[in-house]
Amino acid sequence: MKIMPCPLNGPRNISEFVHGGEVRDMPNPTTCTDREWAEYVFYSDNQAGIVTEWWLHAASGYWFIAERHTVTDEIIRTYDPSEIFNQRVEFSDETTAKEVGA
Amino acid sequence: MSATSPESLSKRSFVYRQLAGASFRDIAGGAMATGVAEGNNNRSQAEQSALLDLSVLPRTGFRGLTAAAHLQAAGLPIPARPNQASVTGSGELVLRLSQKEFWLLGALSDSGAGVDALNQRGLPAADCYSLYCQDSHAWLALTGAHLPATLAKVCGVDLREASFPLGSIAQTSVARVNVVIVHHQLAGVPCFSILCDSAAAEYLWESLLDAMGEFGGEVIGSNALL
Repeated sequence: MKIMPCPLNGPRNISEFVHGGEVRDMPNPTTCTDREWAEYVFYSDNQAGIVTEWWLHAASGYWFIAERHTVTDEIIRTYDPSEIFNQRVEFSDETTAKEVGA
Repeated sequence: MSATSPESLSKRSFVYRQLAGASFRDIAGGAMATGVAEGNNNRSQAEQSALLDLSVLPRTGFRGLTAAAHLQAAGLPIPARPNQASVTGSGELVLRLSQKEFWLLGALSDSGAGVDALNQRGLPAADCYSLYCQDSHAWLALTGAHLPATLAKVCGVDLREASFPLGSIAQTSVARVNVVIVHHQLAGVPCFSILCDSAAAEYLWESLLDAMGEFGGEVIGSNALL
């Protein structure tokens, strides 16, 4: 069994984890094009090499970030998302109005 | 006066069907098995290997930036790090499941009165909300001298004393079901409290009994520990 080091719970069997997709910067939803938004929501790079991904430890409901080599499947580092996401993202009213009107 | 039975009360344990024939008493509006029909029901069984259903005992949870302050204001001991548990003077368990998530498990000795007292307090104005772990999770207590050996059959985490001392919590998979395991003592007997999703309770109950078989494990009622 492969072992994933969870930042909260320590080493656990990989079967306790769920992959959550690549970590990427969110474009500004009020100014970006539909194409850019679709890129963000639906498409993945699938690159060969080291990628930064979301993972969920299902037993504790804990989301964290892992750096993983997609060729060797080696897990290089795992860490709490607060290292990257340290402030709340607010969505303006303008965004809501645009979505409702669309 | 008719005897208390799970069917006579609206709040039931998730494994009450497995406890058919037991004698019950009313705890916080639910039926807790005090003695099972065909079992030893004594302390020596609990000290050897036993399974006890505590699902009707009150418990509650809080999550958010101010959750720790909320519990502290109620005079509860806050574990220093996630995945640690502390015990209050009256026997409640305070579980710290992450930086911002806490559960309070009621004490058998006072039928969970401490949890009711905490629930009477108003929540902080912001950044703290309740978790309904009373309804979402079953609470099974595995007791006795063979705890790590029993769980080694169904769980991949090392739960021996050296790496999982008293007061530790492991959030992991047992028999493929996500659980929270708490290492503590119940009336002086070594105990792993296992909190699992309510929908998986009957399956986990049978799985644990199967794993306990080789250690002479049996179901007990709460009177074995009082």
